[in-house]
Amino acid sequence: MVCAMRPTHTGKAGDAMMLRVENLSVSFRTDEGMITPVEGVQFGLDAGRTLGIVGESGSGKSVSTKALMRLLPNSARLSANTRMTFVDKRGETIEIEKLRPGSRALRRLRGGEIGMIFQEPMASFSPVYTIGNQIMETIRLHRGLKGAKARELAVETLSKVGISNPSARIDQYPHELSGGMRQRCMIALALSAEPRLLIADEPTTALDVTIQAQVLDLMHDLQRELGMAMIFITHDLGVIAQIAQDVAVMYLGTIVEQGPVRDVLQTPAHPYTRDLIAAIPRLDRLEHRLHTVPGEIPSPSARPTGCSFRTRCSDAIDGLCATKTPPVTDLGGGRMVRCHRHYPERTAT
Amino acid sequence: MSATEDPRPETRTERRERERRERYYAASQWTLIWWRFRRHRAAMVAAAILGLMMFLGIFAEFFAPYGPTDRDRTYVSGPPQLPMFCDHNGCSLRPFVHGTSTVRDPVTLRAVARPDPETRRYVHFFVPAEPTKLMGLIPSQTRFFGLEDGEKLHLWGTDTLGRDVFSRTLFATRTSLSIGVLGVLISFVLALTIGGVAGYFGGLIDSAIQRVTEVVRVIPIIPLYMGLAAAMPKEWSSTQVYFAMTLILGLFGWPTLARRIRSQLLSIRGEDYVLAAELAGARPGRIIANHMLPSFTSFIIVDLVISFPYMILSETALSFVGLGLRPPAVSWGVMLQQAQSIQVIEQAPWLFIPAGFVVIAVLAFTVVGDGLRDAADPYGQSG
Amino acid sequence: MLRFLTERAIGMAVTLFLVSIMVFVIMELPPGDYADRYAFRKYSGTGLTITEADVAAIRAELGLDKAAILRYFDWIGGIILRGDFGQAYAFETSVNSIIGEKAWLTLGLLLVTLIITYVVSIPIGIFAAVRRGSAVDYGLTVFSYLGLALPNFLLALVLLYFANSWFGAAVGGLFSAEYADAPWSLAKFWDLVKHMWLPAFVLAWSAMAYQIQTVRATMSDEIGKLSVTAARARGVPEGRLLLKYPARLAINPIASTIGFDVNRIFSELPIVAAVLGLTELGDLLLKSFLDLDMNVAGAILLLLTVVIVVMNFLSDLLLAWLDPRIRLGG
Repeated sequence: MVCAMRPTHTGKAGDAMMLRVENLSVSFRTDEGMITPVEGVQFGLDAGRTLGIVGESGSGKSVSTKALMRLLPNSARLSANTRMTFVDKRGETIEIEKLRPGSRALRRLRGGEIGMIFQEPMASFSPVYTIGNQIMETIRLHRGLKGAKARELAVETLSKVGISNPSARIDQYPHELSGGMRQRCMIALALSAEPRLLIADEPTTALDVTIQAQVLDLMHDLQRELGMAMIFITHDLGVIAQIAQDVAVMYLGTIVEQGPVRDVLQTPAHPYTRDLIAAIPRLDRLEHRLHTVPGEIPSPSARPTGCSFRTRCSDAIDGLCATKTPPVTDLGGGRMVRCHRHYPERTAT
Repeated sequence: MSATEDPRPETRTERRERERRERYYAASQWTLIWWRFRRHRAAMVAAAILGLMMFLGIFAEFFAPYGPTDRDRTYVSGPPQLPMFCDHNGCSLRPFVHGTSTVRDPVTLRAVARPDPETRRYVHFFVPAEPTKLMGLIPSQTRFFGLEDGEKLHLWGTDTLGRDVFSRTLFATRTSLSIGVLGVLISFVLALTIGGVAGYFGGLIDSAIQRVTEVVRVIPIIPLYMGLAAAMPKEWSSTQVYFAMTLILGLFGWPTLARRIRSQLLSIRGEDYVLAAELAGARPGRIIANHMLPSFTSFIIVDLVISFPYMILSETALSFVGLGLRPPAVSWGVMLQQAQSIQVIEQAPWLFIPAGFVVIAVLAFTVVGDGLRDAADPYGQSG
Repeated sequence: MLRFLTERAIGMAVTLFLVSIMVFVIMELPPGDYADRYAFRKYSGTGLTITEADVAAIRAELGLDKAAILRYFDWIGGIILRGDFGQAYAFETSVNSIIGEKAWLTLGLLLVTLIITYVVSIPIGIFAAVRRGSAVDYGLTVFSYLGLALPNFLLALVLLYFANSWFGAAVGGLFSAEYADAPWSLAKFWDLVKHMWLPAFVLAWSAMAYQIQTVRATMSDEIGKLSVTAARARGVPEGRLLLKYPARLAINPIASTIGFDVNRIFSELPIVAAVLGLTELGDLLLKSFLDLDMNVAGAILLLLTVVIVVMNFLSDLLLAWLDPRIRLGG
């Protein structure tokens, strides 16, 4: 379950949480000074569960997961109190933020423990190597298999993701496949190393709607079959409802609300979550205009003072929201929200 | 939406920041390019150097103390005379050079100019001199600097005929840069026409033009030029040769830009706004010029700037081996013709000064081109 | 793939045809015709007066009185069918015997130059892109700018000067005096190698500077691509990752510009040859143009262009081999 509010105890026996992220803040040096696209993000994930992270582009969801894989560029800095721990296949705890760049442990984590698939299946493959070449490379690196054995496993993985005639497809180049097929191959590529956790960064956004549903179903089935945990990033709450058990809503680099999907969707606590839910198109409300979240997401370099959502909030409290950052409120049942409207001791002006 | 007003009054930095942003959003494409270009320090320096070179070249009659073919028989193959403020006889506020006297070299029996450290010749500014015409138009009797009493100052020495290297270099700068400008202009017009026709009409016309472009592109320019130069009548004046050379360099410099224009036009050929203009009955030339070109003018300008060095280097190389401009015309290449052997490096290294101009001009054009390219690319933020 | 090949081959043939016409036109350009000069040379000093009839006879003898189009077909037919480039008037021998060995030397020089260019520019360009923004990158950028700006005849002069003052020997030419006319032997070949590095380096100079920038730019682009991040996210070790993913793609633009490099090298060849005193093709071209021996000049210009066109074709093939999107795209 998602539980950001747990006390930060260490090494307690039986603490089964596979992934735990605390105080994740990322800043970049740019021409216009430091910007902080992710600030104070906390979440956790148990083995075999799915966490959906939802937010508009620029909300910091991709940056957070890239930080998890240590894939951020050199200009990025993690804050000193960032803690990211991961329990690997052997039951050992890895402190991700302390891994040395280029170290064997980091390379094992990337791909071997945490797999990642991206939004653009075409761009994720190198165009000059066959699908099989890239899958077998991963198998060689993380499963220690070579030659015919690696190929056999690659074919097997391809058929597992629903590629027909996999022993022929394996020798094809990415540009010879359709978009849906490429995304299936990308999933196969990530799965071939048998990771404990799969991070999917908007894996269906670039696909046709019908293909989207197929790929979602596939991921859902595979996850159940392999007992793998998953972080699913999207800007579409509808997708989250289908695939995730828990959800974290991000806005401008912070998680504004999180909890079990069902509860959050039924009784959203944060105004932003309410807006997002209202923006889901529904067949039974076709006569109404689509609701959108008003305004545009501000740039991280011009983050509003106080509550960062106040400039677009329909429910902002005059004087308070502009001056004070809302603290995290535990709503019980694994839910939390970051909003003055829910802070019990709020002081209205 | 009830945008909660910020209760605090706007601070000064905040206002300045907001105004900066507002200006940014309101700025035109060209203003944005200029702003980004201005931040590119190397490119600004290079642009300033080019500006200075052009200025000196255009007003060569004023800045050069002597004419390009004036000979000083008393100072042949003389080393540079650098103005100084102090010598063993003390200092002076006005810069001076030592006088020279001609002696015969006991070995080679040639007349050699030898500095006489006891005499001083003072440098004056805005000195009266023989009448000339600025840019061949405006009569003038003043030079930027010179010595008193008709004595001659050879800042960068003289060549084997006693001609002033500094003055010649300024006149050469004018010639060489103008060949670059004219050549680029000719190839620009050609590239625009040819690439425009190919890219707009496409189909069979395009294929035919592509073939011709291919031919012009594969023939190596300097060997080709050699063939054409051989065909030039020997009795042509240096002005005729100058224009012929410019024409040839321009005539064969267009393929790269034409290809770029063609492919850009082809890629936006199907856009709705082009179709709209067509339906409105606009003629092809007008559609290309008014609707299609503006979308990539900045790229064309970058390409033009980058093709300058090519023209300048070609001219220099050809004149250097004696196939380009002919004396009495003076260009960097013509001047370097005197510096063809390694003996010159040892005996009269100042004859290589024009080479420095070639290098600096080419470097400057390249850096400005790069700066413009970075500035014109809306996605390359600080690249 | 087959269609791609045929298309390129036909394109090459058409280009070569157009090039041959253009070269022929250039050969026809110089004023006066060769018969005049030939007559002058033949009869000067003999005390005989040359009449119009004499010149006309020479003209007929040399076949210069035929229509231009017929002479074109004679010329190109001889080249294609018999490999015969015709008569070199100024040297009173055939063009083939003048060019002969020099053509092979030029081709050898070209190959060495290309090898130097790529062996230097590819690793350096990749390195500069990987260390983007570092002092090394900055230094290399400045160096390659200078490489583009310094005319190579000047570079040749400077190198000649240093070679002269350090080694004390004349480095010009392609052979030492004792080997110049000697038959081919291992010793002569070694002598050639010792002489070739300087002209090859000078000729490679600007192509090198240009390609360093190309490789650096493409490599920088490629490093930022998602496929590289994706490979990194799969745990591919950094060194192998750079070589296998971005570097592999960064050499594609080089493959596609080989013809362009050859063109650049051939363009500079006559000038560099003049400075370095190379008696091979480039220098010969200069001489024959100055002598108005248009048959030699035309043959050289045609040969140079043919090499460039063929290199363009090879570079297309190489690119198709390197990039499956072109190979399989039809």
